[in-house]
Amino acid sequence: MAQCVQSVQEFVQDSFVPMVAVLCSEEAERVTRKNNLNFAELLRPFCRLTSEGHIRDPNNQVQVVKNLRICVNNVVTSPNTAFSPAQRRVLNEVVLSCQPQEGTATNVITAGDCDLNFSDHSLKASAPWYSAWKETLSEVSASKHYTATTPWFEAYRENFLQSMPASEHEFLNHYLACLLVVSSTETVPVEQFLKLSQEQHRIQHSGDYTNPKWFIPNTLKYYVLLHDMSEGGEQRADSVYEDMKQRYGHQGCYLLKMNSRTFSAEEDEQIPDPWSQYLHRNNLQSQVSAAATDRGPVSCQGSQGEASNSLESHPLQLDTASSSGSLHTLSAVNPELKKGARDPESLAGGAGSHGASLTLNDHDHIRQFIQEFTFRGLLPHIEKNIRQLNDQLVSRKGLSRSLFTATKKWFGGGKVPEKGISEPKSTCGLLYPPEAPELQIRKMADLCFLVQHYELAYSCYHTAKKDFLSDQAMLYAAGALEMAAVSAFLQAGAPRPYPAHYMDTAIQTYRDVCKNMVLAERCALLSAEILKSQVKYSDAATLLIKMTSEDSDLRSALLLEQAAHCFINMRNPMVRKFAFHMILAGHRFSKAGQRRHALRCYCQAMQVYKERGWSLAEDHINFTIGRQSFTLSHPENAVTAFRQILTNDSRQTATQQGAFLREYLYVYKSVVLGNEDRLPQLPLPCIHSSATRVYFGHERRLAEGEKQAATHVSLDQEYDQDLAAMWCHLEEQLVAAANRGIVPATFQPTQCCLNSQTDNLRFPLAVAEEPIIVEVTFRNPLKVPLALSNLSLLWRFTAEGATPSEEKTTEESAGEAVTNEEALTEGVSNDVVTTEIILEFLMGPEETKLARLRLLPHSTGQLNIVGVVYNLAAASSGEGALLLSTGQQALEVMVVRGRQDLKIQGPRLNQTKEDKMLVRHGQDRRLDPIITPPMPLMEVFFLQFPTALLCGEIRKAYVEFCNVSGGALCGLRVASTHPDFFTFGSQTTTPLTPVSPTSAENCSAYKTTATTRQPGSVASETLVSAKDFSQLSGVMEIPIEGGTLQPGESTQLPLWLRGPDQEGVHEINFLFYYESTTKGIKISHRVLRHTVFICASRSLSVQASACRSSVPPHHSVDEKGSGGTLVFVDVENINTSEAGVREFHIIQVSSSSRHWCLHKCINPANDKGGLHFPFYCFCRSSVGGAEKYTFADLNLGNERIISSSTPCGDFFFRGCRPPQPQRVDGTSSRTSSTNKSPASDISNIVRKCNELDLNIIVIWKAYVVEDNKQLILEGQLHVALQTIGKEASSLTPKEEAQEMALLKFKAEVPAPVALLSAELSQLIKTNLHYPETYTHPFVQESLCVVPVTLTLSNCSSAPVDVLIDLRHKSSSPESLEVHSSFTWVGQTQYKLQLKPLEVLCLTLRACFLQAGVYNLNTPRVFAKLAEQGAMCETSQQAASPALIIINSARVQPQGDVLGLLD
Amino acid sequence: MAVCIAVIAKENYPLYIRSVPTQNELKFHYTVHTSLDVVEEKISAVGKSLGDQRELYLGLLYPTEDYKVYGYVTNSKVKFVIVVDSSNTSLRDNEIRSMFRKLHNSFTDVMCNPFHSPGNTIQSKAFDGIVSGMMVQTASTV
Repeated sequence: MAQCVQSVQEFVQDSFVPMVAVLCSEEAERVTRKNNLNFAELLRPFCRLTSEGHIRDPNNQVQVVKNLRICVNNVVTSPNTAFSPAQRRVLNEVVLSCQPQEGTATNVITAGDCDLNFSDHSLKASAPWYSAWKETLSEVSASKHYTATTPWFEAYRENFLQSMPASEHEFLNHYLACLLVVSSTETVPVEQFLKLSQEQHRIQHSGDYTNPKWFIPNTLKYYVLLHDMSEGGEQRADSVYEDMKQRYGHQGCYLLKMNSRTFSAEEDEQIPDPWSQYLHRNNLQSQVSAAATDRGPVSCQGSQGEASNSLESHPLQLDTASSSGSLHTLSAVNPELKKGARDPESLAGGAGSHGASLTLNDHDHIRQFIQEFTFRGLLPHIEKNIRQLNDQLVSRKGLSRSLFTATKKWFGGGKVPEKGISEPKSTCGLLYPPEAPELQIRKMADLCFLVQHYELAYSCYHTAKKDFLSDQAMLYAAGALEMAAVSAFLQAGAPRPYPAHYMDTAIQTYRDVCKNMVLAERCALLSAEILKSQVKYSDAATLLIKMTSEDSDLRSALLLEQAAHCFINMRNPMVRKFAFHMILAGHRFSKAGQRRHALRCYCQAMQVYKERGWSLAEDHINFTIGRQSFTLSHPENAVTAFRQILTNDSRQTATQQGAFLREYLYVYKSVVLGNEDRLPQLPLPCIHSSATRVYFGHERRLAEGEKQAATHVSLDQEYDQDLAAMWCHLEEQLVAAANRGIVPATFQPTQCCLNSQTDNLRFPLAVAEEPIIVEVTFRNPLKVPLALSNLSLLWRFTAEGATPSEEKTTEESAGEAVTNEEALTEGVSNDVVTTEIILEFLMGPEETKLARLRLLPHSTGQLNIVGVVYNLAAASSGEGALLLSTGQQALEVMVVRGRQDLKIQGPRLNQTKEDKMLVRHGQDRRLDPIITPPMPLMEVFFLQFPTALLCGEIRKAYVEFCNVSGGALCGLRVASTHPDFFTFGSQTTTPLTPVSPTSAENCSAYKTTATTRQPGSVASETLVSAKDFSQLSGVMEIPIEGGTLQPGESTQLPLWLRGPDQEGVHEINFLFYYESTTKGIKISHRVLRHTVFICASRSLSVQASACRSSVPPHHSVDEKGSGGTLVFVDVENINTSEAGVREFHIIQVSSSSRHWCLHKCINPANDKGGLHFPFYCFCRSSVGGAEKYTFADLNLGNERIISSSTPCGDFFFRGCRPPQPQRVDGTSSRTSSTNKSPASDISNIVRKCNELDLNIIVIWKAYVVEDNKQLILEGQLHVALQTIGKEASSLTPKEEAQEMALLKFKAEVPAPVALLSAELSQLIKTNLHYPETYTHPFVQESLCVVPVTLTLSNCSSAPVDVLIDLRHKSSSPESLEVHSSFTWVGQTQYKLQLKPLEVLCLTLRACFLQAGVYNLNTPRVFAKLAEQGAMCETSQQAASPALIIINSARVQPQGDVLGLLD
Repeated sequence: MAVCIAVIAKENYPLYIRSVPTQNELKFHYTVHTSLDVVEEKISAVGKSLGDQRELYLGLLYPTEDYKVYGYVTNSKVKFVIVVDSSNTSLRDNEIRSMFRKLHNSFTDVMCNPFHSPGNTIQSKAFDGIVSGMMVQTASTV
């Protein structure tokens, strides 16, 4: 509950005070008028008595009257029995004028989980209302803790209670006494007194006037002689006073001397002005009486304003008083006078000049006068009347005892009901005549109440209540109940509890039976206050809420607000109830026209609803706040409130949202009209700031005709972390290549497109004259479409190059930021940065849409993209956009211009502990590019670039480099993820192919020479250094002529492509690198990205294996070599699915090796064979040398393809080279470093002796039918033969098998021995040399001894111990049979040691007994490495039989021998 | 039958509010929100006296001119509020109780849904269905 400055007792006590009427003579009126006051007003500040009075009750008990206040009023005879509309209006104004001061300190009340803010203005704002009692209340106010005050409510209550019309059923507002005031300047003052006295009598008793009402028939008349000190004649006044004393007794008259101050002294002395606090009220009351209707809204809140308000009505009162000449109705004032009274000049007339002629002494005089009047006149009068009434009552009841004791008996019951004499029944019960005996007791009770004899008052009220109830005089009964409850409450000792039900009954009766809301309201106000003082907030709230009704919005509003305050003052504060009732109060306030109060209520309620998920309610409150703020011309607040509705995720319906939007736009427009200087922020549509993407550079042109532009980066691409890393890696390679292998420390990857995932810590670099595209994500949260127009970016630009001195002196603007904000509003184009404007941008309901906004910077410096600026309008069902363009309709569709800032928060930091504890965000400089001078710009186009290739297919394409900028560029390089996919050809071996792509159609990509096909021809050999194909890393320099591209120049280069070896879709990324020819620019280089997708389909599979040939060395053609190897090449067509491919032709098999080369095709016969295509090729060691490669071509067709030239050689090196150097290095290091481990040593030696470094290139042609056209495709496949005996394939083994391998938790036991034995068997190569046929004359000599040479050659590079055993140990029966026929003679066992690579010949002798065919291959050879133990010994036996034919020689001719053999 | 059914989270924000479509939704929001004060009062009062043996059903929270507001609070302090038309005198306390129990069961099912993240508003067809079954069947229900 709002705290009051008064205590409850004081409040209730002050609500009912003795009323004193004033009748003034004209002359006296004139005297008081000098002070700008009438007499009643003059007395008002002094009406509270500071000293105690005493009164004796009927039992002669002395009763102390403390702190008594009397109320002095002019006699007004207007018939205001009911509460007039004018009074209502006045109350309305009182409330209106009492507003919380803005900007005062706020009070925070914690209630439940809410903190409520109230502006605390208790002392300041309510000062006018109570500072007269401030002295007496100072201790109270100091001790009290003010929580929330509602001074408007107190003001209302006070005014309400004071303007209560005097009612028939009670006497509380009836006049008890009348002051008759006459000036001493009158010619005959006594006559004037008589006249006034008669006047009073006439008013009271003539029956002409129902108002004012008088308490007692014989009203106390108190004669006051007013003496104006400034006019002199003090003696005369004294003498008149003496005369008066004679006439009226000294207790019935008074001489008041005043106006002792001269006007001249006015300036010197500042006299306090106690009237200012009262005159507002006074003024209003006088207005009520004057029925002054229309008044402007009281806007001023200070006392100054009220003083000026009061001023305006003073002349009015003076006029009426003088015109009527007496106490006639003030209501008769004609409108002209009123208007005149409120002229501006009268308003402007000296403010605060009340009591100008009064000194402090005069103040004291007045105070003394009041005291004298009260103690000498009023209180004795009341005392007398109480006695009289008591006596009457006692006598009427026929009781000898005093009423005081008798009441006790009456409470016991058995009271005889007294019937009024034929009272007319009305709706509210009986109406007693004024002098009815039933009313006497009530009258006495009221008197007792007024002099604070509450005990007696209570008993009287109680008695009266019973009487009235029994009479069914409901109005009277209710009044008695009310007052009984109040007096019970006010009884000091509190002998009985406060009878709340009395009040409830009274309120109910007033309201329901008597239909008198005013009385009910008074009763409720009192009761609520009392209940609150007893901490019965819940009851008070219920009571107050019950009192709200349709008839008075103001009252309902105020009471609801008080009820709301009750809820938060409860022990368990009911914050939500508070809020809800505040809303209700706000609603009623707004209905009552109290907009400020309404707004305040809603704002306070908002504190409870805010951000708690009750969006519907929140929207409603916000909407109301917005509307109220707007009507109260706080459009900024209105805009804020409306913005809340629109930005929150709304649950409202589409139509509702549309209405909100229209309202918002309207309000917003008015705000914008108010201040033009800076565009305000718009809430709609929502911008998803972090999703903003920034793109530097031109948007890529798409492919034009045959040309296919490099894909580069575009805003349409999604950001991919892996891809970005890949590009960065490529760029790093390029930069390293450009800087002699070192990546500079300052290297930063080029980022063309910035988004939330990229590294935005540094200022991005943008190039002048190249656009900057910002993609902003807009989201329309509403269910209604929005139409944006003239959408553009808002930026700030700080020019670079302004030297510091310039900046400081004249060119202040050079260093200062230039912004386009004004330019946009004024429509001036800017020469620093060109801003592109999107004319129309429509957003559907709840749509998320991207807008790409473009800037084109022209000069260098720092650019900050601040936000976006646009026109916002509600698109009405789609065609709103059309209307926008035409001016006239644009007025109908509300369009507002505003901005929205782009605030991008960097990623959350998570490095230090503080970062982790707090929520910290890093920098994000996406939108702050530095504009650098123009850079060269290159475009890359591809011509005849295929999308699908067979595996290994060679295709020629062209690439065009175009310098589209104004600067020359150089240092062109390219890096790729698949360096083996393409080649530009090497300079030395580039064939003279046509440069232009058009002439190259249907031309083979290979360089060929025509030869005739000769079966079994010897391979032609070429020796090529690997350095000719030196670009072995991922980076290739692009061989353009001159190395630079001049502005506007373009050049085409051929490009050979080879289909990847693996089938499937391959993503191939190219990164082109170039530099500006001018150095020292911030951007050191630029890059261009290109991504192609190549679909590779299967073609052929080539499998090759090599084995040792058993051909003896001398059989080979070339004597230089140490031996030959047989190579088997199997070719398989695995292109089964492709319908287009008709057939494959193998046109050439080439080899490339440092040590070996293909020599001869043994059996190239059936080249039309099916899937398998066997080759038998001799191989020989060549004199290649370490770095030279020997290319040997064995062509199967009519032309020879020079495999050592581009592109064949290029792709060979690209495809096969990379693993080789690594392998060579690996083995060499292994042999040197791992000597200690014997096992690995052996294996090395063994491996080395099995090593074969031969690469087979199979070149094929495929006939493809495509679109009814036959195409010939060419291709090459590589097989790298590493070891003898192992099969190698052109297809790389599938990786999946490896991936899917089971996890093994136990280390596999290695089997080195088994592996070794297999390998060791290759250590020694054995050859038997013997004559194929041997003729021996068995007839002559039975033993035939044939010399056989066993050649042992050590293949390894280590000494080997060899054991040769010639003895037959075979157990198989057939071999026994065969072998038994011959035997080795001579030494049958040899133990030798072979030095590395040594060839040893042993001459053996075989002895045959008869002719036949023998297998000589029986010697068993065991070899072991010299240092190793026996475990390594292995049989070296060759499996193949060595057959010898032994003929028996006869004397007969040869023919017989042949016959014998058969 | 009910005219408005609401589920309020422990932190007193609405998890679910459905009201009869023919009437002003805002009014019910205010009513339900205001009733939370009474719920809290009742919870604090009950908490002192009985401890864990708490009756979940809170009974009539307060009657307004047009409606009767009933409350129910789960052990996790989730509140259910059912607003019933005052003119509907046929509803007994027991029936309200069973309505709350049904609501609670359905709510528990919603909470058991692994795809429901606690604290979010309830979006469940099953729950909707249960609530619809308790609501006043207006003529407009198609």
